[in-house]
Amino acid sequence: MSWSRDEFEARLRGVLDERYHDRHPFNRRMHEGALSREELQTWIRNRYYYQTRIPLKDSVILTKSGDPAFRREWVQRIHDHDGTAEREGGLELWLRLAEAVGLERTEVEDLSGVLPGVREACDDYVRLVEERDLVEAVASSLTELGAGKIMHVRIEAFERHYPWVGEEGLRYFRSRTTQAPKDADWGLPWVLDHATRADVQGRCVAALEAKCDILWRLLDAVAAAHRVPRLTAAARRRDDPQDGRPTVVLPERAVRLNDSGREILDLCDGKRSADAIARTLRLRHPDVEAIEPDVHGFLAEMERLGVLESAA
Amino acid sequence: MSAPRPYNLIAELTYRCPLRCAYCSNPLDWQRVRDGLDAPAWSRVFREAAELGVLHAGLTGGEPGVRSDLREIVAGAAAAGLYVHLVTAGVPLDRAALATLRDAGLCSVQLSLQDVRAGDGDAVAGAEVHERKLAFAAWVRELELPLTLNVVLHRHNLERVGAVVALARDLDAHRLELANVQLHGWALANRAALLPTRSQLDAAAAAVRTARAEAPRPEIVFVLPDYHADRPKACMGGWGRKNLVVAPDGTVLPCHGAAALPLEFWSAAERPLADCWTRAPGMNAYRGEAWMREPCRDCPERERDFGGCRCQAFALAGDAAEADPACALAPAHAAVVTAREAAERGESAQWVLRGRHG
Ligand code: SF4
Ligand code: SF4
Repeated sequence: MSWSRDEFEARLRGVLDERYHDRHPFNRRMHEGALSREELQTWIRNRYYYQTRIPLKDSVILTKSGDPAFRREWVQRIHDHDGTAEREGGLELWLRLAEAVGLERTEVEDLSGVLPGVREACDDYVRLVEERDLVEAVASSLTELGAGKIMHVRIEAFERHYPWVGEEGLRYFRSRTTQAPKDADWGLPWVLDHATRADVQGRCVAALEAKCDILWRLLDAVAAAHRVPRLTAAARRRDDPQDGRPTVVLPERAVRLNDSGREILDLCDGKRSADAIARTLRLRHPDVEAIEPDVHGFLAEMERLGVLESAA
Repeated sequence: MSAPRPYNLIAELTYRCPLRCAYCSNPLDWQRVRDGLDAPAWSRVFREAAELGVLHAGLTGGEPGVRSDLREIVAGAAAAGLYVHLVTAGVPLDRAALATLRDAGLCSVQLSLQDVRAGDGDAVAGAEVHERKLAFAAWVRELELPLTLNVVLHRHNLERVGAVVALARDLDAHRLELANVQLHGWALANRAALLPTRSQLDAAAAAVRTARAEAPRPEIVFVLPDYHADRPKACMGGWGRKNLVVAPDGTVLPCHGAAALPLEFWSAAERPLADCWTRAPGMNAYRGEAWMREPCRDCPERERDFGGCRCQAFALAGDAAEADPACALAPAHAAVVTAREAAERGESAQWVLRGRHG
């Protein structure tokens, strides 16, 4: 049986209460003023990749609707991000934020420093919108319901804890305090109107959950880049007696590596941060392209497998 | 058929156990399976396993702690170069025994807990063991061994997942396996008592997400049980593919349930382990894909799930070569749906405890 309009809305809001990334430890630390300058830089450099995916996913959503009124409304979102002229719009404002925290605009724009976990999460978002029906795709955008509030908190937190960022850097956040609620005020009733069957409502809730998980994963990857990895107490390193491959054995599994894996693990001494390890390897192997994201990807994978653990 | 390299040896040292868990996955006729390998025989099995490529030995049962020669067995596995992992219910080993095992080469410990409260936990274990288990967990950490907690989840404890995580944190566990009950052995006999509802599982999954967000430790493993998923699990990572089980009597199996199938397996008590692994007819019965029928034969999922669990196919469809009935595409899927719907309607039953010794 389908939900009433109110119940459906409550379900959607419930997803945000439970999973929106304002609850993520990294976000909480940001708002408490606990992030270092480097951590803020990493977040801003990586979150830019997400910003670049938003107009792409909104373009995909446009292709799914045959209704001119819908498209007229939705195309506004693309203008919000891209601007209607050069040096305008949300992407531009994000680059100003990047400059305000001391990053080079070009280094951010060329996306070369984007962490693999972030890239994957954001690409998953575009894919989600491609693969699902229009109403689910719109439902996945309803994280906007939480965006207004998070932006207000963030502006206050930046003013209090990171005053060195300066007013120019906060313009993106300020712009979203009005855009996001406006978008949500339009998007929420539209979803409530267009998803009336039980199965469609269920899929809308699932799409919003998937979107929340994507935002969460983005912060997971950013947070991991600044932790200090070391071998877990359970992990034993050895070379495989059959083929000599470096191997880590754990209570539940064996993880087989290659020589690069060995080199990275050798640097996980419980003193260097993931970021420092990645930089060390870049200096050691100047010929290897984009080595840092690869190192972070490897470290994240090892942590997921229980080979490494990391302290903040 | 050439056999793949096994990485993991599951050494079932005995089926004896002071507990009587209603979901025990040991065979229903476990009393008939004798402890057929002494410590020197196990040492030989460990050496031969290492030669086959095994890196890791999980010592399990039953309760490995009831073997008076456990120290020698641990030392034998360590001498073969294996990573030695002990899976225990926490009784009857005491702190001194555990210290001896660590000194003999034990690398890590997995402790089963039934619940967060003594009354509930002891009811499903059929013995007063909860307090003792908590003490055991503390000893593991005092001895600086990594601790995995394994809690089997079912209809009567799923509500307490949040409390389970809190307890795991108090006990300083590295890893928490929230193992949704697998319906094999005694658990299948007790299915109506154990099978949860979908909303119980959803609530538990939400509690797990909250817990993961709070702190990275312990690592929490939580997988939707196959009765409530529409696709089966890749049981044991595939039949005779990565995991090698040696039962207490020495029988070499692809998983702990396979002895119940009408197949010929060989015993490491009588032959070299390599023969038992590579050549026993039972081991080769479901290796690879040649045995598959429709719908698995042409299904793209088969490379991921290997058609699911052969034991579940045998138990529910009466034929181990059928698709796992947990799969929505399987001809015998109705058996799973019927059980699931009964659980949703609240048709539960009282469980029976695992049968006593002898
Ligand atoms: S499940 Fe319970 S009864 Fe069975 S072996 Fe484990 S502790 Fe013993
Ligand atoms: S049909 Fe067979 S291979 Fe396909 S998903 Fe089901 S069990 Fe797996």
